[in-house]
Amino acid sequence: MSERKPGGIMPREKGAAPLDVVIGVMGFLAALALGASLLADRASESWRLGLADRVTVQILAPEKSTATINTEIGAALKVLRETPGLARASIVSEQDTVNLVKPWLGNDSLIAELPLPRLIEGTITPGARVDLQSLRSRLKQAAPDSLLDDHTRWIGRLRSFARGIKWSAYGILLLIAIATAATVAFATRAGLEAQRAIVELLHQMGAQSGFIARAFEWHYFIATMAAAAAGSALAAGAFVTAGGIEFAGLGTVPFLPPLALKPTELCLFAGVPLGASLIALGTARISVLGALRRIY
Amino acid sequence: MVRFENVGMRYGTGPEVLRDVTFILEAGSFTFLTGPSGAGKSTLLKLMFLGEAPSRGLITLFSRDLATTKRRDFPELRRRIGVVFQDFRLLDHLSAFDNVALPLRITGRNPKAYHQDVEELLSWVGLGNRLDAKPPTLSGGEQQRVAIARAVVARPDLLLADEPTGNVDPDMGQRLIRLFEELNKLGTTVLIATHDRALIASSQAREMRLVDGRLVELRMPRL
Repeated sequence: MSERKPGGIMPREKGAAPLDVVIGVMGFLAALALGASLLADRASESWRLGLADRVTVQILAPEKSTATINTEIGAALKVLRETPGLARASIVSEQDTVNLVKPWLGNDSLIAELPLPRLIEGTITPGARVDLQSLRSRLKQAAPDSLLDDHTRWIGRLRSFARGIKWSAYGILLLIAIATAATVAFATRAGLEAQRAIVELLHQMGAQSGFIARAFEWHYFIATMAAAAAGSALAAGAFVTAGGIEFAGLGTVPFLPPLALKPTELCLFAGVPLGASLIALGTARISVLGALRRIY
Repeated sequence: MVRFENVGMRYGTGPEVLRDVTFILEAGSFTFLTGPSGAGKSTLLKLMFLGEAPSRGLITLFSRDLATTKRRDFPELRRRIGVVFQDFRLLDHLSAFDNVALPLRITGRNPKAYHQDVEELLSWVGLGNRLDAKPPTLSGGEQQRVAIARAVVARPDLLLADEPTGNVDPDMGQRLIRLFEELNKLGTTVLIATHDRALIASSQAREMRLVDGRLVELRMPRL
C-alpha cells in the first residue's frame, strides 16, 4: 500500500507577494532597530569603561608664558602623583592633544593656531575612592590655572544619549510589531474572504474552529517566517558589511564602538522572524476565530 | 432522529421560503424529498445540516433541541451528518482521495487508519483509477461521485443528498442509490432531495413533497 501525504487544507495563495514584501521590509527594519539597540548598549558600556576610571587636569592659560605653564604642569603632576588612589598620572603630549580634537575640527592647519589646553591624564586605581574635592583645591593651590575633570557629567550625558537610542529602538520594534499584526490581520481577512467556500465547507463538516484556524495560522506563520527571515538576513548582512568596511580600514565612525556585531549578537537577529511569525500566528488565529463566530 | 415542528424560514426580510413545516424522520428511515424547483428543498436540507437557523419553529436533531443546544456542541452534531451538495463543493486543490478523506481528517483520524477505506470507497463509485485526480480534471458525474463518497465515508447517522444522481447515467444512478440503501441498512437515516421520478418509482421509500414552502404530501413507505 502506497503512502499518501495529505494535501494542505488551504490552497497556496496567489498574489501573496506584496504581503511577503511588506513583511520582509518590516523584518529588515526591525533587525536594524535591534542592531541599533545592541550598538547603543555597547557604546554606552565602552564610554563608561573608557572614562569612568580616569581624571583629566587641563591647564589653559594662553596669556601666560610657556615656562609658567610648564611650571604649573609640573606642580599639578606632582599633586596627582602624591594623591592616594591614583595609580598613575602622565602628561598628554601636545601632538596627542591635537589628535584628540582632529575628529571634531578636521586635519586643518587652523588647529595649530588654536590655544589648546595642556592635559594631564590620571588613572584611578580599580576600586579606590579619590577625594576629588580635596584634589581640586590642592591643584588650585599648586597650579592656579588648572581645571580638574572627572568626566561624570560627560559620561552621564553619553549614557543618557545611548539610553535614548536604545529606547527609541525598542519603540521602533514595538511599532513594527503592531504594523506586522495589522498587516497580517488585514491579509487574513482577505484570505478568509477568498477561501470562504472552504471555510464554510469545513465548518459544515463539523471542523472545530481551532482546526480551521490552525490551517490559516500555520500558513501565515510560515509565510511571515520566510519573509521576515529574508529581511532580517539582509539587515545582518548590512551590519557584517559595515563591520568589514571598518575592519579593512576603509571607513570608521568617530566615537562609536565598532559597527561589526559579534556572532552571538547576530544570533539575536534570528529572533526577529521568530517574533514576527508568532505575532502573525496569533493575529491570524484571532481573526479567523472572530470570523467563524459570525457563521451559524 | 429529526423532528421539525412548525418551522418557518425566511432570508432577511424576504418572503418565507418554508412555512409551518412539520415532520419526523425516524432513525434508520429512507425518505425522498421532492418538489418543483424553488419549493424550498435546499433550504430544508440547509436547516437539517445546521447551515442556517430557522426563523421560527422547533428543530430537534439527534434528540437535541437546536434552540437550546450550545454552539460549541454543533461541530459534534455536524460530524454525524453527511451531505451531498447539489454543487458538490469539492476542494479544487485537493485530489479526489484527499477530498473524500476530508471528513475523517477533520476528526483527527490517522491517515494510515483510513487510507484503505477511502480507496475502497472510491473504487466502489468507479473512481479507483482517479484517486489523485483534482476535481477540475473530473467530469461532472465523476465529481458527483467524489462528493457522494465524501458524504458517506464517515458512516454518518444522517445522510442528506441534494440531487445526488443529477449528473450520472441511469446505471450509475442506480448503483449510487444502492450505496445509499446499503448505508441505510447499516443504520444511517437517509433523505434524498430529487426530481428523478424513475429513481423514486424504483424504490419503496417514503416521499415528502414540498410545494411553495409547505409540506403538502406524504407517501408512507410501502411495506
